[in-house]
Amino acid sequence: MTTAALIHVVVSGLATGSIYALMAISLVIIYNATRTLNFAQGEMLMISTFVGWAVYQRLKLPLLGVMLVAVVGAALLAWAIERAIIRHAISATHFDVLIITLGLSLMLRSAAGVAWTHDDFPFPSFFGDRPMAVGPVRLAPVSLGIIGASLALMAALWALFTRTRLGRAMRAVAQNQRAARLMGISVERVYSASWVLAAVVGAIAGVLIAPVIFLSSKMGIVVINGFIAAVLGGFGSMPGAVVGGMLLGVIENLAPLYLPSSIKHSVPFIVLIAILLLRPGGVVGRVARRKV
Amino acid sequence: MRRAALAIGALALLGWPWAAPPYFVFLASLIVVNAIVAIGLNLLSGYTNQLSFGHAGFLAVGAYTAAIVATRWPGVPVVAPLLAAALVTALVGLALGIPCLRLEGLYLAMATLAFGFVVVEAILNLDWLTRGNDGLRVPVAHLGSWALAGDRERYYLVLPVGAAMVWAALNLARTRTGRALLAIRESEIAAQASGVHVARYRALAFVVSALYTGVAGGLFAFVVGFLSPDAFDVFLSVDFVAMIIVGGLGSVPGSVVGAAVLTVLHDSLAGFQNYRPLIFGAILIASMLFMPGGIASAFRFLKGDRV
Amino acid sequence: MKAMLAVLTAVVVAFALAPASAQQGVTDTEIVLGCSNSFSGPLAFTGEQATRFGVDLYFKVVNDAGGIHGRKVRTIYYDDGYKPQEAVANTKKLVEQDRVFAIIAPQGTPPVVATLEYLEQNKVPLLFPFQGSPVTRGRKYVFSGMTLYDRQSKMMIDYLAGPRKYKKFATLYQDDEYGKAFLTAFEKDLARLGLKMAAAESVKRGVTDVSAQMAKLQAAKPEVLFIVLTPGPGAQALKERQKIGWTDVVMVSSGPLTDERYLALAGDAAEGVEGLSLWPDPVASDLPAMRLYREQMQKYFPKNEPNRYSISGYFAAMLFTEGAKRAGKNLTRDSLIAALEGIRGFESGLLPPVSIGADHETQKQGFWVRVERGKFKQLTDWLRSD
Repeated sequence: MTTAALIHVVVSGLATGSIYALMAISLVIIYNATRTLNFAQGEMLMISTFVGWAVYQRLKLPLLGVMLVAVVGAALLAWAIERAIIRHAISATHFDVLIITLGLSLMLRSAAGVAWTHDDFPFPSFFGDRPMAVGPVRLAPVSLGIIGASLALMAALWALFTRTRLGRAMRAVAQNQRAARLMGISVERVYSASWVLAAVVGAIAGVLIAPVIFLSSKMGIVVINGFIAAVLGGFGSMPGAVVGGMLLGVIENLAPLYLPSSIKHSVPFIVLIAILLLRPGGVVGRVARRKV
Repeated sequence: MRRAALAIGALALLGWPWAAPPYFVFLASLIVVNAIVAIGLNLLSGYTNQLSFGHAGFLAVGAYTAAIVATRWPGVPVVAPLLAAALVTALVGLALGIPCLRLEGLYLAMATLAFGFVVVEAILNLDWLTRGNDGLRVPVAHLGSWALAGDRERYYLVLPVGAAMVWAALNLARTRTGRALLAIRESEIAAQASGVHVARYRALAFVVSALYTGVAGGLFAFVVGFLSPDAFDVFLSVDFVAMIIVGGLGSVPGSVVGAAVLTVLHDSLAGFQNYRPLIFGAILIASMLFMPGGIASAFRFLKGDRV
Repeated sequence: MKAMLAVLTAVVVAFALAPASAQQGVTDTEIVLGCSNSFSGPLAFTGEQATRFGVDLYFKVVNDAGGIHGRKVRTIYYDDGYKPQEAVANTKKLVEQDRVFAIIAPQGTPPVVATLEYLEQNKVPLLFPFQGSPVTRGRKYVFSGMTLYDRQSKMMIDYLAGPRKYKKFATLYQDDEYGKAFLTAFEKDLARLGLKMAAAESVKRGVTDVSAQMAKLQAAKPEVLFIVLTPGPGAQALKERQKIGWTDVVMVSSGPLTDERYLALAGDAAEGVEGLSLWPDPVASDLPAMRLYREQMQKYFPKNEPNRYSISGYFAAMLFTEGAKRAGKNLTRDSLIAALEGIRGFESGLLPPVSIGADHETQKQGFWVRVERGKFKQLTDWLRSD
């Protein structure tokens, strides 16, 4: 295989990796605030992308408008779910919240199937598929566009977390909930804000990836890779989530090139198990000690 | 009184295949299989707070082991494939459990989730052994010259095994091991301070849990009669978790009830076609919101016990 | 405990009182059919289309016209989510509780194979399953539906290596029984002609990126690349080819993949793709029978688009109706099977005349198409595989 082909494969992996990173970030946002996992994150991405698409079909909005609709839809959905369901269970064991979000993911996927069938649909893209030649290397604008847009979003998130009151409140809650409360931060509001923010990130990821993997009730499955990415980066760490996502995307694409077909599909999971066993704190994080 | 109730219960269970239509006999066998898995999972999650999303993987290991043994040695008494399933799965449980000792909560859930995927991939790729994607037909179970070919016969295989597993789990609480596990459930620190070797017992819980699920897998193979990797996806693991949470964490009767409720629910919702997951998800959420401790705690509450 | 006994008694009584008719699932006014199918899981779309919008569409037409010998057809479907154990449970429920006459149009190799033995033992006809693995061949109570994969492979290889004179082939296949069965059949058919598969790469269900597989395949420099995938990943492969500018290869899609939805997903990346088509175009074909199907779909399910999955269920119901009509007023499972076996040269208007012989295969043909300006253009007449 030529170097040019290899570069294309790696860039393509970075593009899907950016999406994994965004999924990982949205999982981490909720985890940091509430110490629970949202298994429905992938299905929320899927529903908001569908909502954007449905409006696009009706009104023929420009793509930026579609993204806006998806983002608003995601925010409303997340807010409603958090207020109506999660808030009531937050005092219960974490297992209960886990099961609730699992139930939600089943419901959302099924509801999408009822509303729009389980078919795959083409989705409009900001970027083209026709390759651009950079020397001998061919790069697809769609891959570069996804990477660029994701990096921009990550930068915006970074600004949000470091420069705004809300962001600082979220970080405070992540570090120590009781202390945050004592400092006058409304922890409940941070819960809601985290759900909404995570859903917004997911919706943008959905609109970016839908032209590549197509819009369908099944597309929420990317959440599994989001989990792996988050663990790779050390669950709870935002920069870790970004690195983990990119790493996973590249590993996933390089594995079929160099490994026998019999194990290549297990690679993400083997990597996950290996990381958990060797460096549970993630590839970039510190090793967390188990509290006894 | 209690003894009389037990006797009537046992009689009802034994007489079930003669009273119920054949389909319900099959369904009852499935309930027993799921109940064994639920008990196994509950020994892990309910006692030592280690949540597993990979029990479909253990079920697959048990099912394929039993099916392969029964295929290689046709006519072998059904005890052999079941024992093999128990043993192999327990070993796999040990292999997974020891390294997982340093993980907890979320991380353990992730590791077991990944384990489930790896098992399915392994089944796909060891196709000389498992027939991979084509699926594996499970031969009829034999007990001496008696071929367990019908749903009724298979029920009489599944029932006593299930009863023995329930009995063992109930009595576990009375043994030294059981008390150690209970102590760990209440407080790991306190248990450690009282001289309980926490790590060892956590690993043991993993092995016992895998063993239970392996036996259930062996029974599953004979009851269903056909195995393919598609049978053991992550949603099956989720179902098992739902069973113990709906039934009640840390409760053996709760596991059985949870398994029965979810199996019957799955079955009765099949006719709703594409609305099935919608309804199933709604019921899961509702039961978590309104019955957070599961059915077991609802019972305790009704009986006036402190929850 | 009393309640439990009462339930037990009720169950026993209900069972004892179940009507003992001449033939299960057939009364003077009704025929009951059913199947376990995917309404959730990876093949949910296909399952719903084949049953509720395919089989049911044709039976609605038949029922509104008075039924079959005065009997209306009623269907029952259960969701198995593509899991074999649930397919077994559902099928037992259909046979033992709902007392269906026959199983019609279930889907997917693992779920269907899981129920084969049970249905054979209980002598329940298994009609036209939507799956292509040859395991269903040669069974008394089973009639296959889709053109079996080994026949599709034979037609594809014979055509490409014969009139088209290609010599170097590669395959991109889905890592499941559908993909593997095709790959095995391709390799066998190539060996028959003294050729070998130059490269084969697999893709996992629900994949997000196929660039690595395509790069590897391109490095093997095949003349023809077979794509044995589902529509989503299939379209991704076509787009990937466009991204890497790989032009000197003929992309050929398998029979189950060659459909309009896959074209719609791939957009202009589908231009020039060839494939084996198992059905005339359900959206654009001018065949009178196809136009009738579209009109009926418009009438009964105005919101549902015509497609190949519903047409395959529609055709299954049509074949059942033909068999049940021929079996006459005294419809039993054995008379249905005898009647189906007696079908010779049946004109469906959709496919070439259907003759069902001892092999119980109802479809054995396909024709070659190429995508030109976003539409399938027919390149050959019906190709036969026998």
